[in-house]
Amino acid sequence: MSCPLPLRALLLLPLGATLLCSAQGLSAAERQPDAQRGAVIAAQGTAAGAPPCAQCHAFNGVSDSSGAFPRLAAQPAYYLAKQLRDFASGTRDSAIMTPVSKALTLEEMQDVAAYYATSEAPFMPLAAGDAKLIERGRSIALKGNAAKDIQACNNCHGAEGAGEPPAIPYLAGQYAQSIVSAFDMWRSGYRKSSEGAMAVIAKQLDEQEIAAVAAYYQQVRTSAVAAQK
Amino acid sequence: MAERLKPVDVVTIGVGLTGAIMAKELAASGLKVVGLERGAARQTVPDFQSPNIHDELRFAIRKALMQDNVKEAVTVRNSSDQTALPMRRWVGFLPGTGLGGSFVHWNGQTYRFQPADFVMKTHHEQRYGKNFVPAELMIQDWGVTYDELELHYDRFEYMCGTSGKAGNIKGKIQPGGNPFEGQRSRDYPTPPMKEPYYGALFRKGAESLGYHPFPQPASTLSQPYTNPEGLKLQQCVFCGFCERFACEHFAKASAQTIVLPVLMKNPNYELRTGCQVQRVNLDSTRKKATGVTYIDAAGREFEQPADLVLVTAYALNNVRLMLLSGIGKPYDPKTGEGSVGRNYAYQTVSAADIFYDQSVKINPFMASGSSGTVIDDLAGDNFDHGPHGFIGGAYIGAIMTGGRPIEFRPVPPGTPSWGAGWKKAVAENYNHTVHLTVHGSSMPARTNYLDLDPTYKDAWGQPLLRMTFDFPENDIKMSAFTTEKTAEIGRAMGGKTVSSAPRKKPYTTTVYQTTHNTGGTIMGNDPTTSVVNRYLQSWDVPNVFVVGASAFPHNASYNPTDTVGALTYWAVEAIKTKYLKSPGPLVHA
Repeated sequence: MSCPLPLRALLLLPLGATLLCSAQGLSAAERQPDAQRGAVIAAQGTAAGAPPCAQCHAFNGVSDSSGAFPRLAAQPAYYLAKQLRDFASGTRDSAIMTPVSKALTLEEMQDVAAYYATSEAPFMPLAAGDAKLIERGRSIALKGNAAKDIQACNNCHGAEGAGEPPAIPYLAGQYAQSIVSAFDMWRSGYRKSSEGAMAVIAKQLDEQEIAAVAAYYQQVRTSAVAAQK
Repeated sequence: MAERLKPVDVVTIGVGLTGAIMAKELAASGLKVVGLERGAARQTVPDFQSPNIHDELRFAIRKALMQDNVKEAVTVRNSSDQTALPMRRWVGFLPGTGLGGSFVHWNGQTYRFQPADFVMKTHHEQRYGKNFVPAELMIQDWGVTYDELELHYDRFEYMCGTSGKAGNIKGKIQPGGNPFEGQRSRDYPTPPMKEPYYGALFRKGAESLGYHPFPQPASTLSQPYTNPEGLKLQQCVFCGFCERFACEHFAKASAQTIVLPVLMKNPNYELRTGCQVQRVNLDSTRKKATGVTYIDAAGREFEQPADLVLVTAYALNNVRLMLLSGIGKPYDPKTGEGSVGRNYAYQTVSAADIFYDQSVKINPFMASGSSGTVIDDLAGDNFDHGPHGFIGGAYIGAIMTGGRPIEFRPVPPGTPSWGAGWKKAVAENYNHTVHLTVHGSSMPARTNYLDLDPTYKDAWGQPLLRMTFDFPENDIKMSAFTTEKTAEIGRAMGGKTVSSAPRKKPYTTTVYQTTHNTGGTIMGNDPTTSVVNRYLQSWDVPNVFVVGASAFPHNASYNPTDTVGALTYWAVEAIKTKYLKSPGPLVHA
């Protein structure tokens, strides 16, 4: 087994790099997050005013299929905690998530991230969508767009978008609408994390390519299961 | 019988860094150019895609991107009284093959040579007197100066999008950069890469001893970049698979990312792959090339007539092609006469390892081929050599290129070499070791040279290149000095133990050191001691130019690619602005 690959992309994220280069970062990372405490926050929110995560993301983290809220279940804890820190700091600017995150302490962020990371919620079968669009998305996921010098999504997000923990989320089985929405946030500047990679890619891909990638990843797990039957 | 093809204006032998850049420039100026590449065509998509491209066994151990040494090897010996044997596996050095050449599997380290390097002999005589340089060496001036090359270095770096911090812009020292470097006309095109933890530890240790650390200049990019040809490069993700691998990310400068897409669109250009050039053909005067003869992948022989022949293969193969074509007089180590094959030089590389306790987590896998932190204080002639009795030096740095599982297994001295004890030590030290590289210069010696092997032949029946090389005493002394200084820095970096070893004789090809093979068709101002003039034009056959690290009269303390790139632009500009107007010798001896 090679441990290099999963951890490789920490440097994509400026905060990740800082953490690894500073002794303080190492000691903060050594506190063991409390997933049970995280579960309580997910279900009930906090006294300081953070609402229950479950209201939108469901208690098991599958959210709903509207795609307005991304699926959180089994995303890497590091990644989830970083998103909460980014919402709190304004690196990700969201009318909903920024106030929620500001109401959480750093330890509560770690705990709730740990909880959702361990959730084993199922991937629900979703509508497969347009076959041509999916095929186009698959091509970009596997090979990028060489004409635009855009690298393949799977180079960082793992084979079939399975994720490269701890820093890089899975895309496989994420709601297409959530993926499109994430691209929109990068394109419009509301999301300033990954400025060197995702923000650039989001601006280089056109809307149809984004829709194609999103449609591909939404169905990749269920189509893989179907193929095995 | 060779089939004679339609004549073209220019043929390049090899389509790597030098061949692609020269072809692009000349095709753009209206000439019909054919590029002959012995290897396969390959592009980022689909050839370099993950996860396949991260196959360490295939690429790093079995060397999938390298010259096929079943067909074409190099024979090696340490001295001319030995019998050279062919390298059956590439280990010591790794010549690439295929479209883009070694410019695909390089690490991206992008250093300029020092101004003093280009006036090596004059500089050392002026600073240390006429008797200082050891008699075993034959250093000489290059015939071109740093100031003449500066804008070509700049152009190449802006093509690559190199990430770094200038230390000297127009004579003004810049904080955070390399204060020893020759002056630059402007800063690097992109800011330095992020400093890895191992680089930060080195920086601290080096600073505590009064050295001047700076981020290693990297053509694995710190941020997205569009080069002057309009080609886009992406941000490096520190995956740790650069050297020996190709980049799937459009993040490493290579022929594929910085020039080929533009070249391939030009209707004046034709690329032919799988074409093994046998020789440059000369007319009856032997002062004019008529073209080249090559054999294609199906075994058919062709003659490609051309007005201008550019020898743009890997450095070693440039030398071999000149010898096979009978251009220039081969070097004879007994008499010191002749020039083709002389001044073969390498790189004198050594290392130190710092072993930390379990609380210091290095994460060595998080790297690019050119991330890291270095010092230039002990490189080239940046320090007073008066008391030391040798010339040259080394840059020193924490420039770990990835913690790949098969290759990276640091263990402290005294560890058993196999079994449970070894495994335990690997597990204990993998994430807690910093490796320091001592990247030393290589001086040409009278006894080191390249010629044709009398015994061994390639798959097409032509003699292999024979390398006769051992480290000169000068370089052994240099390595002892710089390696000890490196160990001192290691001890200042706060580890448990430091182990270090200077480079020792004899040279062996069974341990990887570097692929920086230089010299053999060297440039200069005197046709008796150089193969090409200051514009890389053959003294003997003026419509042949030989471009690459084979032109270096010695190898400096640095990785050669930036200087190869600069010389390529320097030579192609001379062709465009001087040679094409009046074909013939650009320098009269």
